Amino acid sequence: MSLFGTSSGFGTGGTGVFGSTTTDSHNPMKDVEVTSPPDDSISCLAFSPPTMPGNFLIGGSWANDVRCWEVQDNGQTVPKAQQMHTGPVLDACWSDDGSKVFTASCDKTAKMWDLNSNQAIQIAQHDGPIKAIHWIKAPNYSCIMTGSWDKTLKFWDTRSPNPMMSLQMPERCYCADVVYPMAVVATAERGLIVYQLENQPSEFRRIESPLKHQHRCVAIFKDKQNKPTGFALGSIEGRVAIHYINPPNPAKDNFTFKCHRSNGTNTTTPQDIYAVNAIAFHPVHGTLATVGSDGRFSFWDKDARTKLKTSEQLDQPITACCFNHNGNIFAYASSYDWSKGHEYYNPQKKNYIFLRNAAEELKPRNKK
Amino acid sequence: MGRKKKKQMKPWCWYCNRDFDDEKILIQHQKAKHFKCHICHKKLYTGPGLAIHCMQVHKETIDGVPNAIPGRIDIELEIYGMEGIPEKDMEERRRMLEQKNQETQKKKQNQDDSDEYDDDDEPGPSFQQPAARQPQAGYVPPMTQPGMLPVGSGTPALPPGSYSGIPPMMPGVPPMIPATPPVMPGMPPGMIPMGGMMPPMMPGVPPGIPPPMGTRPAITHMPQLPLAAGVLPRPAVPAGPSVQPDVTKPLFPSAGQSQQSVLGSPHTPPSTTSDLTKPTFPAYTQSSAGLASPNAGSSTVSKPPSTVTSKPATLTTSSATSKLIHPDEDISLEEFRAQLSQYQCSIPRQGQTTSATASVGGMMAPQQHSMRHPIPGQYGGPQQGMPGYIPGRIPPYIQAPPVVPPVYQGGPPRPTIVTRPPVMSPGGHY
Repeated sequence: MSLFGTSSGFGTGGTGVFGSTTTDSHNPMKDVEVTSPPDDSISCLAFSPPTMPGNFLIGGSWANDVRCWEVQDNGQTVPKAQQMHTGPVLDACWSDDGSKVFTASCDKTAKMWDLNSNQAIQIAQHDGPIKAIHWIKAPNYSCIMTGSWDKTLKFWDTRSPNPMMSLQMPERCYCADVVYPMAVVATAERGLIVYQLENQPSEFRRIESPLKHQHRCVAIFKDKQNKPTGFALGSIEGRVAIHYINPPNPAKDNFTFKCHRSNGTNTTTPQDIYAVNAIAFHPVHGTLATVGSDGRFSFWDKDARTKLKTSEQLDQPITACCFNHNGNIFAYASSYDWSKGHEYYNPQKKNYIFLRNAAEELKPRNKK
Repeated sequence: MGRKKKKQMKPWCWYCNRDFDDEKILIQHQKAKHFKCHICHKKLYTGPGLAIHCMQVHKETIDGVPNAIPGRIDIELEIYGMEGIPEKDMEERRRMLEQKNQETQKKKQNQDDSDEYDDDDEPGPSFQQPAARQPQAGYVPPMTQPGMLPVGSGTPALPPGSYSGIPPMMPGVPPMIPATPPVMPGMPPGMIPMGGMMPPMMPGVPPGIPPPMGTRPAITHMPQLPLAAGVLPRPAVPAGPSVQPDVTKPLFPSAGQSQQSVLGSPHTPPSTTSDLTKPTFPAYTQSSAGLASPNAGSSTVSKPPSTVTSKPATLTTSSATSKLIHPDEDISLEEFRAQLSQYQCSIPRQGQTTSATASVGGMMAPQQHSMRHPIPGQYGGPQQGMPGYIPGRIPPYIQAPPVVPPVYQGGPPRPTIVTRPPVMSPGGHY
């Protein structure tokens, strides 16, 4: 099952984005389908934190909604609730106690959704769509961090309409991740900024991008002591960079690897290079998963620098992914990401969210 | 050279006149070359030892020491390392060395500041000071840092033209050479241990080591580093302008739209497939009125098969060997998609109640449930649960045990919502 190198065309059905209707290429991995998926592309997925019993999954979509499902132990998914924005939802996250869900939208607002009462109120406002939203829990404060296309990064105490802090960024926020006390934001023009969150958020360092193409997704990883120590950055050019903040030997410790490309060994036709849409680290093993526009997901071990597995090709790009709090479940969303432009968009095409058992496949490779 | 001891010179092999740094190495050499049995390859310790071995074990006699120069093949001489060398041979050796020394010394003189000789006499021959102080010597290719090399994809490892800026920046200091502990000569040694300390992410700790682009300005501050204080401002100082754009300069005024000679900029990375550069794009920075400004116009222009050239606002998405599956415009997929009218926020126009089911562009259409957008004002009615969402699935989450700090229930924020709308709809593009 572990495929080294790019997987050759293992006879997956589905050509391109449309996918054929004859073969079951919408779910070649035969994973569990989440019921009542959103009606338009899924932009983000997030599982509930360990502070809550059970597993609850939220997913935001371009249909302006964010939905919540309960994922039961037997694999059944039960839709629980939904909230709306007035524009596509681009990101969502949980509070640390699992009682609130924060959602960010193209409508330039962010909302706090109290799941108990099923009420959502606006807690943030930007001058442009909010692309990234994260909950920060520090010993001396808690807040929401929002990154927007208006080039600002703002921090909100949810009780006040004004931000506690607003930091200017060089460019539009494209993606971000937070693992206290570190936050990383990747912006347009290949910008990359690391923030430190102790006491209060402040810019820590601007890093020259290890990648040559537009940044698309970022995820922080931790070291053996469970402290954030670096991040994985994905671009639109089928490549991920593993970057440590303070490595003993940057030249050797930092590296990039190619992924989500077609034609592994076949060199006669031009290789298709797909964007990496999301990266997620397994909370226990520290291995990572990447999902791309090519409709595949891959698991990698960054320490052993090997690929653990690549999936079959789905008939649509995979736009989002996440692990649940204990790493047993890997969720990924199959929907159109616009990588081929407007022409390939089919509003009738169903969008899916799949759940896969991740306990075994993401075990790290033993280093010899 | 002091002439006190017999063996003051570097160890040398009596059998073949070779020089060695160390006596140990000399002995290894002798055992392997001169005292090795040609029949069974056993290594002995001395010449006589070898002779005896061959006689006893192989019943063979040896005439001389293998691999020895003529005159030095005496197998009966018990020589081990430097021990046992006949005195006269030692003297011969010394004489030879002296001669050699004199020759080199003569030449050396000319470079020396030594007061014994007149400098102006010799016309400085070509000899450079041996082992001068090549500042850069021994430094590894600077470019490896970003870790591009291991991958070795088509793109040359040269991190974007950024580095081109560096040499001028740092005269005596080697460019960001990664990490070996000695790191930069400019760096006070005290910095190094700190470098290791990262985790608490305290500013001031890591400075020199990783410092790619962003710290370019910092480098010049190197000497200040030891002052913790000096470091703190670092991120802030260069902050805005200088940082970041290794590749780009601040956005061009959108008006320009021109095919900016991107190439002119020394920063343009020599990359292969594509690269972005100044997006004159900014549909964003303009007030929304413009709508889809990144218009296809400038963008879709071309997909030059070759690389390197990239016009502003577009990516070079294809090359002879590869093709980026991405729209040409150099904006994120989400930005691209969000421009479409169907995704414009359905901010209720005045007078209309929230329900704006006015499905803007049919986006709402697909939704089966007649969800009313709980836009401000609509939030009342805690019983809303999931109106229409999942018929029959009422229990609004109450199952969730964890206690919620009910701070927000009906708290002050509520009222603020009502005031929101005016703020939310500035041009309401998104």
